Amino acid sequence: MQQKRGAVKKFILFVMVVLLVGCATWKWTRVGGFHSSDSESYSVELPDGWMQAPSGDYLLITKDGVALQNIVIEKRGVDADLANTKKKLKKDMLPQEAAEVILDGVSSNPANLNFELLENHPATISGLPGFKAVLAYKTKGGLKIKAVYYGVLAGESFYGLYYRAAQRYYFDKDAETFEKVVQSFKLVKT
Amino acid sequence: MKFLYVLSLVCLAVTGCATTAVEPIAGHQPLALHDDEKRIWARSAEEEKVLLKSGLVYEDAALQAYVNGVAQRLQPPEVLDQVPFKILLLKNSYLNAFAYPNGMVFVHTGIVARMENEAQLAALLAHEMTHTTYRHALSSFRDIKNKTAALSTMSVVLMGFGGIGTLASALGTIGTLASVSGYSRQLETEADIEGLKLVVQAGYDPEEAKCIFTLLKKEVEEEKIREPFFFGSHPRLQERIDNYDALLNGEYKDRKGGVKNEEIFITMTYQLVLDNAVLDLRAGRFSSAERAAQKILKTKPDDKKAYYLLGETARQRGQQDDTVKAISSFEKAIALDSSYPDPYKSLGLVRLKMGEKPEAKKLFESYLALQKDAPDRAYVEAYIRECSKKEAP
Repeated sequence: MQQKRGAVKKFILFVMVVLLVGCATWKWTRVGGFHSSDSESYSVELPDGWMQAPSGDYLLITKDGVALQNIVIEKRGVDADLANTKKKLKKDMLPQEAAEVILDGVSSNPANLNFELLENHPATISGLPGFKAVLAYKTKGGLKIKAVYYGVLAGESFYGLYYRAAQRYYFDKDAETFEKVVQSFKLVKT
Repeated sequence: MKFLYVLSLVCLAVTGCATTAVEPIAGHQPLALHDDEKRIWARSAEEEKVLLKSGLVYEDAALQAYVNGVAQRLQPPEVLDQVPFKILLLKNSYLNAFAYPNGMVFVHTGIVARMENEAQLAALLAHEMTHTTYRHALSSFRDIKNKTAALSTMSVVLMGFGGIGTLASALGTIGTLASVSGYSRQLETEADIEGLKLVVQAGYDPEEAKCIFTLLKKEVEEEKIREPFFFGSHPRLQERIDNYDALLNGEYKDRKGGVKNEEIFITMTYQLVLDNAVLDLRAGRFSSAERAAQKILKTKPDDKKAYYLLGETARQRGQQDDTVKAISSFEKAIALDSSYPDPYKSLGLVRLKMGEKPEAKKLFESYLALQKDAPDRAYVEAYIRECSKKEAP
């Protein structure tokens, strides 16, 4: 009985936390120009006028809304779990192998319907051998998304630079902006 | 999250326990849908449209015809006249199957890939088709007093399962009820009893009904599978096994043997097993992919694709002894068909990582020669350049 009461308390606490978190205002900030992150060990030139989401785990920026177009830069430990695949990155992987793991995660996501890999080839990112993949999928709501994924392994970390946008109109509009972001991306030795 | 999951299942069970009796569709009298049932059928059709456009339908016309043929044999013609049963396979490696009230039944490739014969497929289909003919969705929806609240709770719970939650939401309300929570214990038991009756009437071996669920339970246990889907849930599988046990030792204790159609089933599902293993491999379910390759090799010991799959599983898993396993499997695949390009590249990657650059180079060159339009040509050419570099003295 006491155990049951404890469980109910836990549930109420969970609901309260969810409500409190939901009430807090998350602030978006305008970005543009040089951006560096010591903790993430990189620097990059961000496009002017884009807005950065208040997320601590990765950098997410958008101009017209996350659903329409967004650029994400993430750093993850090679041992970190990936969503939708039990596969893991390994630091000695070749770029093609790393691409395979990342793309398997994306294609195994049941939310990404009609997944299609359009391109997958080597790319140089911050002077290191990496990969570039272009893919397309459809959301549950029927929106066709086109995305470009760059990725590179650097020691114990994997860096991913992603551009995802509605295929119609938005993708082409900011594809070049994203390429400039990728070209400006530099890994910083700490 | 586990606590929430249990809590919500209890809530659903409590709200779904009382059943509203509805006459089954037996074909003896004209089918008249109730008003709320018409809405459920219309909603089902909408949900099915989303699935049909999702790109998830497994396209294999011959297999589709075969599976539907099995389903047709299970029901009397008068029922088939009233319910337009259609079985569709979904490209998904999870253990799942579910029926919509209007006769559309979706079966994941994951569950078919684990089956051994046609009688097992018939048992699964008969169970699902019984949900339709016994109008279990209608009973359940009438019973769930606060459907929105119950199903919202389910959505919150499923969020903890990442992509599966998204898939469940893609299924829609009716699909989620049918595939995730299943129906009340009473209705599921009814599907077991009536389903087994159909299996026996069609001449199939009833023992196989128990076999398929025992097989699934074993895999769920061994692989520590944690899926929210009905057929990926250990307790729900145990319920099926207990029910079939009771039926086989009671009503059907003198009914031994029957049709299994193992050979035709293995032939028809060969490509599905391979394709599903690729899905398992993508999802990092290495043991499941390996098991699929070995299943194929049991009946086709000279199957190059199965050896390639076995090699890829070992190469991508990269654990102790996997390099040796991968090399051996790729070499067997090449020995079986020297014009099969894929194992050359994979073996090249293994050799490159072992520092055996001249051997790797030859393998990559063979791959590109055999696969003129290789989609990964740029990568492989880079490997060849890497292999051609002279080592610094």
